[in-house]
Amino acid sequence: MKIITVFLFSLLVLFSVLLSSVQVVSETIGVTGEKDKTYSKSAEVQELLRIIGKKVSNFKSLKTDFVQEKNLAMFKKKIVLRGRIYMQKPNMLAWHVDKPVKYSVVITDKSIKQWDEDTNKVQELSLAKNPIFKNVITQLSVWFSGEYGALMDDNNVSILQQHPLVIEFVPNDKNIAKKMIKSITITFREDEKYLKKIKIHEMSGDTTTIEFSNTLLDVSLENSFFEVKSVR
Amino acid sequence: MFDKYFTLISDFMQGKKKYVLTGVILLTAAAGAGLFFVHYDGNIDLMLPPDKDIGRSMSFLRDSNLSDKVIVSLSLTTDNRSKKDLFNAADQLAASLSPPLFTKVTTGFSVMNMMDGFFLNYAPQILTEKDLSVIDGRINAVSVSDKLKRIYIQSLKPESVFMVPMFRSDPLGINSLILDKLKALPASMGFDVSVEDGHFISSDGRHAMLIIQTPVKMTDGPNSKKLLTALEDNISQLPKYISADVISGHRHTVSNEKVIRRDISLLSIMVSVVFLLLFFAVFRDMRVVLVYIIPLLAVILAVNISHFFAGKLSYLVIGFGTAIAGISVDYGLMVYISARKGADSSRALKLAKLLCIDAITSAFGFYVLYFSKIHGYHQLALFSILCIVISLLFALFILPLTLSWKKCPEIKQPRISDRLEKSPKLRNVSIGLWAVLTVAAAVLSLNTRIESDIKQLDGSEPEVINAEKNFHEAWGGKGGQAIFVVTGSTFEEAMKTNDAIFQRVAKSIGTERFSSLAMFWSSEETRIKNVEDWNNFWKQGREARLKGLIKKEAPKYDFSENAFSPFFDNLYKAADKNGVNNEFIDNVKERFVQERPEGYKMLSFFPDEKEFVKTMSELSRDYPGSFVVSGRAMSESISRFTAKEAKLLIPLAVIFNFVLTYLFFKNIKETVIALIPVLTGMVWLSGLMSLFGFPLNVVNIVAAIITSGVIVDYGIGRTYDYRNNLTMGTAFVVSMSAATNIIGAGALLFAKHPAFSSTGMAMVICMSAGYLSAMFVVPSFCIMLSTREQKESA
Repeated sequence: MKIITVFLFSLLVLFSVLLSSVQVVSETIGVTGEKDKTYSKSAEVQELLRIIGKKVSNFKSLKTDFVQEKNLAMFKKKIVLRGRIYMQKPNMLAWHVDKPVKYSVVITDKSIKQWDEDTNKVQELSLAKNPIFKNVITQLSVWFSGEYGALMDDNNVSILQQHPLVIEFVPNDKNIAKKMIKSITITFREDEKYLKKIKIHEMSGDTTTIEFSNTLLDVSLENSFFEVKSVR
Repeated sequence: MFDKYFTLISDFMQGKKKYVLTGVILLTAAAGAGLFFVHYDGNIDLMLPPDKDIGRSMSFLRDSNLSDKVIVSLSLTTDNRSKKDLFNAADQLAASLSPPLFTKVTTGFSVMNMMDGFFLNYAPQILTEKDLSVIDGRINAVSVSDKLKRIYIQSLKPESVFMVPMFRSDPLGINSLILDKLKALPASMGFDVSVEDGHFISSDGRHAMLIIQTPVKMTDGPNSKKLLTALEDNISQLPKYISADVISGHRHTVSNEKVIRRDISLLSIMVSVVFLLLFFAVFRDMRVVLVYIIPLLAVILAVNISHFFAGKLSYLVIGFGTAIAGISVDYGLMVYISARKGADSSRALKLAKLLCIDAITSAFGFYVLYFSKIHGYHQLALFSILCIVISLLFALFILPLTLSWKKCPEIKQPRISDRLEKSPKLRNVSIGLWAVLTVAAAVLSLNTRIESDIKQLDGSEPEVINAEKNFHEAWGGKGGQAIFVVTGSTFEEAMKTNDAIFQRVAKSIGTERFSSLAMFWSSEETRIKNVEDWNNFWKQGREARLKGLIKKEAPKYDFSENAFSPFFDNLYKAADKNGVNNEFIDNVKERFVQERPEGYKMLSFFPDEKEFVKTMSELSRDYPGSFVVSGRAMSESISRFTAKEAKLLIPLAVIFNFVLTYLFFKNIKETVIALIPVLTGMVWLSGLMSLFGFPLNVVNIVAAIITSGVIVDYGIGRTYDYRNNLTMGTAFVVSMSAATNIIGAGALLFAKHPAFSSTGMAMVICMSAGYLSAMFVVPSFCIMLSTREQKESA
């Protein structure tokens, strides 16, 4: 009955796909309301990304505060979150939200952990089983690390403004975020040493803006910054 | 009459010696050329009982799309390579596989494409009354407050960009009910697979997988070979740090055929070499080669004649030819020894009668197989009877034309007969020891195990088995599964029956281990009712109640007034009567539904365990057209069938042997003595198999039946010798005959295919036991009988 086994296996994978999406799947609504722009991966854009990427990634550690504004149709007013980001290259990233709720996600070479004040439970996540969460984490890691070249595979890139530099990333067909995200705009500091702002335009019309302040590069970071319960 | 015709034919042959020998050579050459035009069949169906359930299961498996899949599991063999390298290798292999042998290759799925609009669009059709009562339990102040709080907190997290649309469309988390139903499917099958970057990946992250669809059925031997060769060629192009395991029924087909063909070649060579060595060592005469050639010629001619009458010949039947060669050489051997001893025409005639009765008993041993319902056995009977008849004719009429000596050289013979005649003590010890051993064997045989699992007769090579073992280690799913098949002339009819069966299973034994499409997708009738229930559920005040609760709790988290309008605006649905246009549903249907010109078949899966199969088989009786396909049930059917056939064939074989032997001797006592080797062979076989823990099975039971027709010759020959005082050295002839028979059967012990080796063991034990009793016990009884008769006449 080996053929039954083979058959069952092929049947099974269909459902495992759904299981891998249990936590994070979303119904997609809305259709792209505009024609797709045609962007060329011009040498100019690639070169610019390479240069800015080199500048922005020229650090070993990072500490910054952020203010995140979410304009969601689901809420009457915009939600403002305040928090901190710590990064220790090559592979440690901590995102701590302090207000209005306490929440942390910490990525190390060994694991990805998540905690929130409400459940007070630390969850260890598998990127293999959470493809959408993985997409988000990858994006975060790339934005903060400055390795923008990697984004060119899954996005159409254009320069909106030269000074200060503003770059727009529009997900292409290979990107699983295409149905949710219309574009991501990254604004750099005047000195082009780091990010100033990231703005995410969603297909639904919602927007999220993350503005960075008090950014310090190559500072010594305590181990406690990379613990999920690192709260102020 | 026999004397007259035998003498007539012999004299004719002697008179036309040159023409006869020329004709034989030409005939053999033609038959040899004919071998290249004979078609062979490696399909095991020929050897399976024509049982309705078995036939239906085999027909289903052959016809279904279950047998047209090949799975390739790729593994990283070094630690310094990443998943990216693994996925690249999977993509490379997938791109290299193209029609006509490979029609579709799946390496993974795009999650987002599949989930587009699925859950809430189809929830009203999927969710049942039971699910609605769970939803009802969530429409209260506490639950709604808790849900809204969770939604608020989740909305603040980085991944909220993907989550918010879902929260707005599903504030109560209804999709979790659908996902629970979907979770149950893989859980019940025991496999462990994830999807990453659009590729299937194992839990340890070291294995990727491709599912390949092919139009080649696994029972198609030649094309299976082409398929696997093409696949291996493409796999060999992958980087060195990637290894591949191929899992498919095609591998078993090709491997079994390869093993059988290799066994046939090897055994034929082994038997030939041993025979020649034996003959030269004992006889030291080149002409003994002629004795050896007779069964070879018989096999060549029998293959052609069998093919003419029976069509495609089974490889398994041809494989048994090696054992037949050992049986058939007896006739030429006896004629050779008789000629060498300078037997006159009178003794030659008596020998001819003896050989004819030997051939008749052997042929009847095979003839009994015609009473079996298994088609393969009829082929075996035809082939074997032809071998015996042709060998006999060659031995009686052709071989004597080639044998002549100026002075007949002496052949040294065993002196056991003299010792038995002179020593009553030795005779008594022989009989006593035989009686004790036979009784002991009879007692042991009460515990003989009959193996009903036909998988034990799978001759696939170790590489095939190891590939499957590696696969299960990486991906799980070791337990066997059975299939419950529901048929219907229309899709809706089959779906309705499938739903009904699912409900019955849910009530009786639970559905944790029963995977059915009905788990989440029912018949149109049921889905329409589900939608009506869903709409009524919300119209009965629940919509208003939920809106009220959300309105009350929303201000705590500053939700907007239309925060959940995507849910309420799409709350009421109509069932889609025009068929579902969804990639996921279509993919699932492909696995659970088979469309054929004669109708539809719905498949459900459950563990292939005895009680479960029994329950489902009983259930199938209430639904005409439904049936269970189970490896275990098939094995048990085959076992029951074999036992039933054995109950018919064994007594038939015994009766035939008894009647023929009595017709020959026309004396009951001599008949009984002549049948001692048969009794000994059968009893010692089952006793020794029980002692060593080997089971009896489909093939070795048949082998034992056939062997009874051979070993009866030992008893007949010895008894005949004593009765007629032939002094032709019957002991020597029987010894040589047994030696050649045991060599022929013993060669099968070295075969890799379990069917051959199992047959060889049964035949060797039967023949050895029969020979020993023929050499020591039969003469002892004959001497005792003749001594008693002498005393009585005195």
